[in-house]
Amino acid sequence: MSQFIEFVIKSGFLMDGCGVIGLGLIALAAVRLSRRYHSWGGSLLACGAMLLLLGRLWVIAAKQILTAQIMADLGHTLSEVILLAPFALLTAGLAGVVWGLWGHEQWLRAER
Amino acid sequence: MTFPPDVLPLASISAMRPVFLIIMGVFLLLTAWRITRGTTGWSPRLLMAGAMMLATGYSVIIPLYNAGILIAIPPSGFVNGDAATAMAWECLKLVTLNGGWLVFGMGLAIHAGVFETEKSVAPIQVPHSSSHEPIH
Repeated sequence: MSQFIEFVIKSGFLMDGCGVIGLGLIALAAVRLSRRYHSWGGSLLACGAMLLLLGRLWVIAAKQILTAQIMADLGHTLSEVILLAPFALLTAGLAGVVWGLWGHEQWLRAER
Repeated sequence: MTFPPDVLPLASISAMRPVFLIIMGVFLLLTAWRITRGTTGWSPRLLMAGAMMLATGYSVIIPLYNAGILIAIPPSGFVNGDAATAMAWECLKLVTLNGGWLVFGMGLAIHAGVFETEKSVAPIQVPHSSSHEPIH
């Protein structure tokens, strides 16, 4: 196994960082679109990007924070909820981004 | 109203999520294509490249993982089966999802003009330098 691939997969930090930066850029762009150009898709896009960002950070943080000891302390139900909640966030966030992009496309078509 | 037992699992969240992701991925690609149709420049190129990567990741790779065809690498790092293949798919998943969001976000940011600065309309204030009091 080459050392670079091992680094990329094992720590996962490089790609996770790329994803989080990209989502941040989407959120920034969406806020800009809705504030400056008054595109209604922009607000939805911003909400979706925020949800995705929250879900991503949750997943990344849970990987680092949740050890077996902490999960045993929290109990079965709560740890299940904590582990499954980001997936709801990620799904809703993706839907928000796609819906927002569609709305922005409609807005662009109406402007032209 | 009763369902046959083999239909019920199809309506569960874990079964619906991949379907939802497939639809969202395809719809994202379609919308990005509709936005960028007939335009040139770096913003549509980046948007389209990012949307293609995201569509691959969300509508092909994640459903394959959820269907159990591709096996995720467990935290212990021990893979039963072909280790190189599992690692290649893991790499592909990481690159398409994270890289896709990065490229897509970059395209959207250029489209929204995040990296441009507006010319300020405020008049430029030149500080008066008083010749009576020398600046120490």
